[in-house]
Amino acid sequence: MANGRLEKLLNRFADVRGHEVHAALYLSGFLFLITFSFSIVKPVKESFLIGLVNPAWWPYADLATALLIGFVVALNARLLNRLPRRTYISVTILFFIGCLLVFWYAFDVYLKSLVSTPVTDSSGGIFFVWIPLAIIKTWPVAVFVFCFWSDVFIAMSVTQFWIAVNDVFDPYQGKRLVGLFVTGGLFGGIVGSSLAALMVIARLISAENLLLVCPILLLLALIIVNLVYREQQHLREAGEVEVNPVQAGASVGYWESFLSVKRSRYLLLLAATLASAMVAGSLINFQFKFAVLKIFPNAGDRTFFLAVFFLGILVISAVFHLAATGRILRSFGIRWALLVAPVLLLAGSLSVFLVSAGALLAWASLIRGGDKLFDNTISQSLRELLYIPVPADIKYKAKIFIDMFVNKFATGLGAGLYWGLYRLSGFAYKDEVAKVREIGILVVVFLVLWIALTRAVYAEYPAVLKKDIRRKWDEGDNIVRANVDVDLTRDVFDALQSRERSTTLYLMNVFDLVRKNNLTPELKEALGIKQDEIRARSMDCLFDVGGEVLFQGLDETIVDKDFASVIDLVFLLPSYQEVMGKRLAEDAGSLSEVDRMDAAKLIGLMVRSPETLRFLERFLQDPSPEVVTYALRSAAVHRRAEHVPLILRQLGNPLAALEAQGTLTDYGPGIEDQLKSALGDESEASEVRRAIPVVLARFGTQRSADILLDELARRRDDVEQELIDALYKIRADRPTVRFRDKIIRPEILFLIEKSYAIVLNAPGRAPGDAPAGLTSEAKAALDIKIKRVFDLMTLLHPPEDIVKACQNILQGTRKSVDYSLSLLDDLLDRELKAFLFPLIEDLPPEERAQRMKKAMRLK
Amino acid sequence: MLIKTREANNVVIFDIEGEIRRSESMQTTLHNQVKSHLDRGRRNVLLNLEGVEFIDSFGVGEILASYISTQNLGGKLKLCRISKKLLLIFQITMLTKVLDIQEDCECALESFDKA
Repeated sequence: MANGRLEKLLNRFADVRGHEVHAALYLSGFLFLITFSFSIVKPVKESFLIGLVNPAWWPYADLATALLIGFVVALNARLLNRLPRRTYISVTILFFIGCLLVFWYAFDVYLKSLVSTPVTDSSGGIFFVWIPLAIIKTWPVAVFVFCFWSDVFIAMSVTQFWIAVNDVFDPYQGKRLVGLFVTGGLFGGIVGSSLAALMVIARLISAENLLLVCPILLLLALIIVNLVYREQQHLREAGEVEVNPVQAGASVGYWESFLSVKRSRYLLLLAATLASAMVAGSLINFQFKFAVLKIFPNAGDRTFFLAVFFLGILVISAVFHLAATGRILRSFGIRWALLVAPVLLLAGSLSVFLVSAGALLAWASLIRGGDKLFDNTISQSLRELLYIPVPADIKYKAKIFIDMFVNKFATGLGAGLYWGLYRLSGFAYKDEVAKVREIGILVVVFLVLWIALTRAVYAEYPAVLKKDIRRKWDEGDNIVRANVDVDLTRDVFDALQSRERSTTLYLMNVFDLVRKNNLTPELKEALGIKQDEIRARSMDCLFDVGGEVLFQGLDETIVDKDFASVIDLVFLLPSYQEVMGKRLAEDAGSLSEVDRMDAAKLIGLMVRSPETLRFLERFLQDPSPEVVTYALRSAAVHRRAEHVPLILRQLGNPLAALEAQGTLTDYGPGIEDQLKSALGDESEASEVRRAIPVVLARFGTQRSADILLDELARRRDDVEQELIDALYKIRADRPTVRFRDKIIRPEILFLIEKSYAIVLNAPGRAPGDAPAGLTSEAKAALDIKIKRVFDLMTLLHPPEDIVKACQNILQGTRKSVDYSLSLLDDLLDRELKAFLFPLIEDLPPEERAQRMKKAMRLK
Repeated sequence: MLIKTREANNVVIFDIEGEIRRSESMQTTLHNQVKSHLDRGRRNVLLNLEGVEFIDSFGVGEILASYISTQNLGGKLKLCRISKKLLLIFQITMLTKVLDIQEDCECALESFDKA
C-alpha cells in the first residue's frame, strides 16, 4: 500500500504523520502479536489455576510473583544496561519461546498422566523417564511456576514494547500515537481470545496445546522488532532521525528506578493509585474465580468460558476505546475521567450484598469485565496523560518500576489479603456467595482508597504541570513601571529640552522637580545647576552650559525648604494674578511658540480663574504640539469638565496623544461617561477611539471594565486590540473587578472564529484545495489573534496560567507546548477546548482545517 | 528626524538621524513604525541612535512605547551607539535598567543571538 493511503488508514486510529508510518505500524503490529499471545496464555493459566489447584492455594501464584518480581526487575535492568537494545529484546523473546515449549511439555505430561503412565506417554520417549515423573510428583508447583512466568512474560513484554516506543519516538509522538498502539493491542487480544475459544469449542486443540500457537506469534514479533530497529539504524545512518536522547543516555538500574519514584511526591501518588487499583482488581479476580469455579467445574468448559469471556471483554474494550474513550476524556477532562472507573466499580461492588447465588456469575463477570474494560481503555490513556508532566528521562525509569514492580507487588498484596481472609474467615466451610461478599468488603476499601488517591493525584497534577511551564517574558509595562519613574523621566527631559528654548520655561521645569523632591545631586549636576549658576541660552548640546550668568547661588536656593512655599505664595498674590492675566493675553496671541509654551506651562502653576481657564482652552487647541503638551499638563492640574472634549481631540494627535492620555487619567473615573460616549461614537476619529481604552484601563474600575466589554461586544475591528489590551490590564492589576462569563465567552469564540479565517482563507488556496501552510505574514497575524484570544481568556481563568500557556504555545519548545496544552486541557471547559485546540495544536494543515470546520459545525 | 529601516540576522534595524522630539516628528511615529514590523512577525528590534543628537520627553515616550510593544509580544528591543551624554541622562533616569544599550551595532546583533 502506498505510504499516503497507509497514513490515511492509520489516521483513523491516531494522528500518524508521514515519516512515522512504518515504525508506528511495526510497533502496533508488535503489540498486536504480544497481546495475541497473552490472550492465549491467560485463559490457559486461569483454567489451570482454578481447576488444578485448591482455592486455598490460589493466592500463592500472585504472592510468588510479588516476592520474586523484584529480582526479575533487577535482572531485566542489568540486561537492559549491558546488551544493545535490539539484542536485549530478541534474546528475551527467544527465552519466552523456549519457556513456552517447556511448559507445554510439562502440562502435556501431567494431563496425559491422568489417563496413562508417564512411561507409556509418547513424550516420555524424548526425555528421560524421571523428568515426567518429577513433573507429576511436584504438581502443582508447575502451575505456580507457569503463573509466575506468565506474569513476568506479560509485564516484560509490555515494558519492552514501551522501551521500543521510547527508542523510536519522542514522548510527544508517543502521546499522539498511543491510540494506534492501544487499538493494535486490543485487536491482538480479540484475535487471540477468539482463536482460543474457537479451537477449544471445536475440540481442535486442548487447553495446553494452545500454548504451541504462542511461539509462532513470538517469532513473528521477533522479526518485527528487528525490522523496527534495523529501519531506525538506517535512518540514523542517513541522518534522517536523531538518536533519542533518552535512549542515548539511558542506563536504568532497579535502584535508580525506585529512587526516581521515591523522590517525586507526584510519582509516589501515581504509583499508590495504580497499586490500589491493582489490589482492588486482584481481589475482584478472586471473586470472579469463585463464581467461575462454582458454575464450571470442568476444565475444558472453564477454558472455553474464560476464552469467550476475555474475548467479549476485548471486543467491548475495542468498541469502547474507539467510540467512548476520547469522548469521555474530552467531555469530562482528566479530573472527572479519573473517577469513572473507581466510582462505577465501587457502585458495582457494593451491589454484591444484594446479589443472589443464581446471579453470582453474571455479577462477577460484570465486575471483572468492567475492571478489565477500564484497564484496557480509559485507564491506559489516562496513565499516559498523567505521565506527561514527568520529564522524559524520569518517566522512562519510573515506568519500569511502576509497570513491573508496583503493578505485580500490588497484585501480590491483593493475593496476600485474600490468603489472610481465606485462613482467618474459614473460607473452606463457606458457600461461594459468602466468600465473594467477604472479599467484597476488602474490594470496597481499596476502591475508596483508589478514589481518594485519584483526587490526590489530580490535586498535584496542575502544580506539576505548571512547574515545568515558565513565563517566557514579562509584560513590558510592568518592567517599565518597576524600574523607571516615568513622570520624573519626562520632567527631566522636559527640563533639558527647555534650557535651549526659554530660561523661564527651564526654571519652571526645575521648580516642578523641586516641588516633587526629585532634584537629586546627580540630576542637578546633569542639569548644570551644580555649577552654582544658571546661564542664559547657549544650549548647543545637552550639557555644555555657557553664556551669560543669570543666577548666582541657585544651588543653595533651590534646596531651601522655604523656596517652594515662597513661590507658591507669589502665585496666590492678587497683584500677580492681575499682572500675569495681562501677560497671558499677550502670550496667547504671540507668534512665538516659546512664549505660548511659557504661558501654557504657567497656567498649571497659577490659581484657577475664569480667565486662566479660557486661555488654557485656547492653548489646548494651539497648532504647536509643544504648546499643546504644556497645556495638557496644566489641564491635568485644573481638571475642568469643559476641557475634556478638547483633550479627547488631542488623542487623535500622535504627537500629543500620550500626554492627553495622561491628562485624562489625572481627571479620574468621573469622566467615564464622556469616554464611553466618545468610544462608542463611530463618527469619532479611530485614533481617538483607540486611545480611550488605555485611560479606562488606568482607572481600572468595574464601570470602566463594563464600558470596555460593551464596546467589545459591538465587534468593531479598529478598536479590538486596544479593548482587549485594556481588559487584560484591568484583570492583571485589579483582581477584584468581575467579568461575566456570558459576555466574555461569546467574544472569545468569535475571536477564535476570526482566527480560523486566517487559516482557512490562507492566500493561494482555491476553494476545495488542500490547505497550504501559512505565509510568514499570515502566521504573524495568526499569532497576534491567538494572543488576543488568550488575553481575553485571562478574564475567566487564572491569568498567570493562561499567560504562561500562551507564551509557551507561541514561542516555546515542543515540550513546553505539550505541557501548556495539557494545562489548558485541565483548565478550560469542553466547549472552549473544542474551539481553541484546532488553532493551537501542532497539526498538519489539512487536519487543522478539518478540525476547524468541524468545530464551527458543532457551534 | 529621519528613520531608515534595514534587516540583518533576523533583526529589524532602525537607523535614526536627527532629533527624536515632538517638533521634529513625522505623522508616522517611531512607535508606529516599530509596531508595523511587529505586526509582520518581526520580534527583534534594534534602534541605532548613532545619528541622534537630542531626545525630548516625547522621544523617550516613543522609545519606551516601542519597548513595551516589543516586549509584550515576546520580542527584544535594544539600543546601540547612543552618545555618552544621552547615556548619562538615561542612567540618571534609570532607563538603562529597562533598555538594553549596546556600544555598537555588531555587538547588539550578536546579543540578540545569545538571547
